[in-house]
Amino acid sequence: MFGRPNLYTSYEQETKLLPTWTQKLLLGLFILVLFLMPFDLPIISQIPVVRFLGDEQWLRIISQVMVLMIAALGLNLLSGVAGQVSLGHAFFMGVGACTAVYLGGEANSQVWGHGLPVWVWLPAAGIAAALVGILVSPIAVRVRGLYLAIVTLGLVFVGIHLGNMAFGRKIAGPPSLGREFQGFDLRLWREETPLINMSDDGHWLWFDVSENQKKYFFFLVMVIGFTVVAKNIVRSRTGRALQAIRDRDIAAEVMGVPEFKYKVIVFAISSFFAGIAGAMFAGLSGQLLSDTYNLLFSVEFIAMILIGGAGTTSGTLIGVFFVVMIPRFVEEFTKWLGDAEGGVSGAVSDALLTTGGDGDFGIIASGIESQGWPLSVFDWNVVLFGVLIIVFLIFEPLGLFGIWVKARNYWKRWPFSY
Amino acid sequence: MTAILSNDFVKGLRSNVPLAFMVGVLIPTVIFLVMQLINNPDLFLQTFMKSLGLGSTYALIALGFVLIFKATQTVNFAQGSLAVAGALFLSFAVADGHIPLTTIENPLLRIGGPSWIPWFLSVGLALSFAALLGLVIERLAIRPMIGQPLFSVAVITLGLETMLRTFNNDTSETELRSLRVPWGVQGFKIGDAFINWSYVAGIVAATVAFIAVYFFYRSRLGIAMRAVSLDQEAAMAQGINVGRVFAIAWAAGAVLATLGGIMGSQPPVKQTGSIDPTSANIAFRALPAVILGGLDSAVGALLGGLLIGSTEIFAGQYAAGLASTIGPGYPLVIPYVVMLIGLVIRPYGMFGTPEIRRV
Amino acid sequence: MKQFRLLMAVLLAFALIAAACGSDDDGGTTAQDTSPPDTEAMEDEDDAPATTEAMDDEDDAPTTTEAMDDGGEILTDIGVDDETIKVGFLSDLTGIFAGLTVPITDGSEAYFERLNDNGGIAGRQVETIVLDTGYDVPTHQQHYDTLSSDGADGVAMIGTSTGSPHTASIREDLVDDGLFAIPLSWNSSWATAESSNVFEWGTNYCVEGMNGVSYLAETFDATTVAILSFPGDYGEDGALGAKLAAEALGLEVVYDGQGQVIPGSDQTPVITSLVASEADIVWATTNAGLMAEIMGGAAAQGFEGQWGGNGPSFSPLLLDSDIAPLLDTNYTHVQPYAAIGSGGSAGMDDVLSLMREYRADNQFLSVYVVSWIQGEIVRQVLEAAAANGDMTRQGIVNAALETTIDMQGLMPDLSYAGEPNDQVIRSSFIFDVTLDNYNADATVLDDVGDGLELIDGAYTSQTAADWDYNPCFAI
Repeated sequence: MFGRPNLYTSYEQETKLLPTWTQKLLLGLFILVLFLMPFDLPIISQIPVVRFLGDEQWLRIISQVMVLMIAALGLNLLSGVAGQVSLGHAFFMGVGACTAVYLGGEANSQVWGHGLPVWVWLPAAGIAAALVGILVSPIAVRVRGLYLAIVTLGLVFVGIHLGNMAFGRKIAGPPSLGREFQGFDLRLWREETPLINMSDDGHWLWFDVSENQKKYFFFLVMVIGFTVVAKNIVRSRTGRALQAIRDRDIAAEVMGVPEFKYKVIVFAISSFFAGIAGAMFAGLSGQLLSDTYNLLFSVEFIAMILIGGAGTTSGTLIGVFFVVMIPRFVEEFTKWLGDAEGGVSGAVSDALLTTGGDGDFGIIASGIESQGWPLSVFDWNVVLFGVLIIVFLIFEPLGLFGIWVKARNYWKRWPFSY
Repeated sequence: MTAILSNDFVKGLRSNVPLAFMVGVLIPTVIFLVMQLINNPDLFLQTFMKSLGLGSTYALIALGFVLIFKATQTVNFAQGSLAVAGALFLSFAVADGHIPLTTIENPLLRIGGPSWIPWFLSVGLALSFAALLGLVIERLAIRPMIGQPLFSVAVITLGLETMLRTFNNDTSETELRSLRVPWGVQGFKIGDAFINWSYVAGIVAATVAFIAVYFFYRSRLGIAMRAVSLDQEAAMAQGINVGRVFAIAWAAGAVLATLGGIMGSQPPVKQTGSIDPTSANIAFRALPAVILGGLDSAVGALLGGLLIGSTEIFAGQYAAGLASTIGPGYPLVIPYVVMLIGLVIRPYGMFGTPEIRRV
Repeated sequence: MKQFRLLMAVLLAFALIAAACGSDDDGGTTAQDTSPPDTEAMEDEDDAPATTEAMDDEDDAPTTTEAMDDGGEILTDIGVDDETIKVGFLSDLTGIFAGLTVPITDGSEAYFERLNDNGGIAGRQVETIVLDTGYDVPTHQQHYDTLSSDGADGVAMIGTSTGSPHTASIREDLVDDGLFAIPLSWNSSWATAESSNVFEWGTNYCVEGMNGVSYLAETFDATTVAILSFPGDYGEDGALGAKLAAEALGLEVVYDGQGQVIPGSDQTPVITSLVASEADIVWATTNAGLMAEIMGGAAAQGFEGQWGGNGPSFSPLLLDSDIAPLLDTNYTHVQPYAAIGSGGSAGMDDVLSLMREYRADNQFLSVYVVSWIQGEIVRQVLEAAAANGDMTRQGIVNAALETTIDMQGLMPDLSYAGEPNDQVIRSSFIFDVTLDNYNADATVLDDVGDGLELIDGAYTSQTAADWDYNPCFAI
């Protein structure tokens, strides 16, 4: 009844999303836990990490993780599956966010807006980004590899420049200030009271839900939806064609996979994901800031999919979680060091923290030093983030997904693993 | 729609775009510039020298990108932070008289004579520090990645960028730091044209760097590097020490970045003779030059740098009245637009080696 | 070897996650200790003033050890218990304004160290909780959620909220949570009802633009003015103020560079237009680096106008650079508070003695005046709240609304009572740049060193005085 891991009796079986019952069960449980996480329920809030992430103050971060997951899934299709590395993902997110605020935002003397409901602006954000993606895609046929990466990097600069121009300011608000972004309230059209109120604390079914929790549930549903879509694209005809192009584009064309058509398709899909995520990202903070969609943001996505494991859907999801949460974990870790007295943590903190005296070789300044060595805790957070990226890629170039595969194979073959 | 979704469309682009570009953009621009030259030759000369100054700064940084790319086949995204790190070292050595983060004094300042002698010697010290930094980075973070996917290496340089930026911010307190350049913002006049000494210095530095690279390419090690850039495994099989080539490339890349950083503290990039952490952006401004010239071509870096630099300055000078139409800060995007057009015409830049693809 | 690598990577990941969970354990237990004692009591806050008489004398004494006796009668909710008062700081410690915010935060810590050594507030020690926002809106909001929660890091008030869009993104939450916050941003919109819990101090960018242009026009007999600014809430607020003054004084705006200075870009277009305009005076709301770049570039092309700029447009470090002589002759500086070492007021003596005692190695920077002013607002508001017997979050906001905060000459006294038009501060400090006053190695132990010389400590232009409050550049 549980099925055997590597026994396939038909092609359909091999390409199934979840081949075994165990996987279905575990995934079902996992999703259930995710849905119940924000509530203070007896069993679920005892699970170590879950209890901690379900806290109200962490929900916003988790929601941010989920938005970025959608964008990263899109980039993974483009860069991981089809092998077209793009540093312009933030630009497509920006296109989505600007379209969304143009359609859904309220107009005033400074900015344009049409106040349309969410079911118009959210899909429109994706579609607009996809159209821009289609416009860009012919370049990807001409230009390859790192050249493509830097051309798409140029898009980010062009995007920020458009935001500085007169019409860009009418859409995205003044640079470095931005404009207010509408909430996710579900309305039929422009009526006063929304069908589903997403911007205040309220009551759903038997539960009291806060604003952050509402956003969390909405995003969770979206992430699950987009993950299924992404996973299905990879195992469909399109996905196989994309992988063929990634592995050897000329060979793919010889075998009858039209390179141009599939590059256009993958740019469109990837940008669609980015556009939706961009609009949701602005909706999460309630603020659209055109300079957020900058190079650093694009670069973070590349780091996410590489650390997670390029080309794998689950790796991408883990990568996003890891990259967004690591600075927070480091922050908590240093806070724990700072509070520690006695015991193991005390010894560690004595060794690392400096009090400023001579002969104290601590590397973390105890206060907010304004200059020089030792660095402050806040600077160490940033440095450690860089170090972790480097260390991870050196020790495990296949990313977190590679670690998982190795660990799984080790146990699968035990006791004959080597 | 089917016409757009076919390769014929792309081939059409290749043959028609250069022509359209020549007729529509290049010829009117040249006519406009000649008119400006006749109209106000002093202003034109001043703008021209300024564009050479910026172009040579870009060329220096672009050359660093090219050397690192030739050896390790990757774009070093930490180039800007390396530039700032080297320039900060110089700033501490000459302005504060000690090595950053330590109390070790800079012995060179005790040398007598005119003040520019210790300054130039300190530049040498900063360049050696940069070389050392390049070597350390290469050994710790890049060498273990031989044979790994190229994009993993590129992301490693992004991690390096994050680290170096933090150290730079902390050492400089995110503030301006003077480099005490002997010629400062002084300059001379030809007619009414004011020309900063720093433009001349930039041109000289770029010339020296390119001559050095020219001879390096003809040396034993340089030939080894070119072999590695063509095929790492084949080069290894010929007995070339690939690791050493990596090390040399990173050391040279860091030295060139530092030179670019020092030039980037002076006019036309900055008027203060100071460096601050935002100076790292100079690397992103120079990227279009590298791409336009071709990622693996030193000549391309030089010409690309000059072309991008002059486009930026001439557009800034003569299109200033259009700023309200084409948006403020347009010099920032013009290099990328030029790069985009250039790449559609020649996908591997002006002098880049096309990748040989096998079925 | 392979397995070693695998082990390393797995260990790393687990170490971090374990550490994070470990700290949560601590958080969990403390949260229970500090859980709100009685929320019902909050509703009686109107009756609470019964205790105020008993504590009135305190206003004179900065240290409040006597308050220990009646400490039990003070209402509290989150962030205040019998021993500590938690004050949160949303500071940019690693982002683009770290150069400014790190020393400000350092100065604030010094301020509260001294306050605690002197007995704290109402017998309670002030505990600062500093979180790094990295100048990023989502991070700012996430950290705000931490500070506004009732967990271990839940605070009674927020002593710094860095950045305009960042503060704007939390202003509705501030009202919902009844939290008091001081913005590190001087936009002219913070006095509006929408931002009722954002307590701005100091002259806003717009009024500074008015004062700066008026002063320059009077002093240098100007008829034409050029305006340069960053795009956005900071630059354009100042540029609009400058335009209001130019209109009132009949000056011709020959180059309108509102929003034209883009950081990271080559400034040739701005320089070219400025030189072509041949303006008598220039008003800049940019940062120090870009102002210097444009000023130097324009001077190289023969531009001779007089320059003025507000707070962030100048940094003493510019005097260490090659354009120092130009700044000396052609630049006038305008800012909302006294520069360090200037004015000779009681407040300045206190700033210097604070820094000399607690941070003797620090550089001679005006930002420590900002730290002191912020600390003083926190102290005086908290003391007023304690005197009212209500140190709940809303009680602190209410206390702030009825207290006049004495700034001891470092800036005009603050009051948040009444209409926005009455609250807005209309005077500026005006300084001349003098190289004789500059010393690159000056520490707080020196008396001069930042190159500024006070011209007028309370300059109010006619335009600013007549200005009917209305946000210049609305957020």
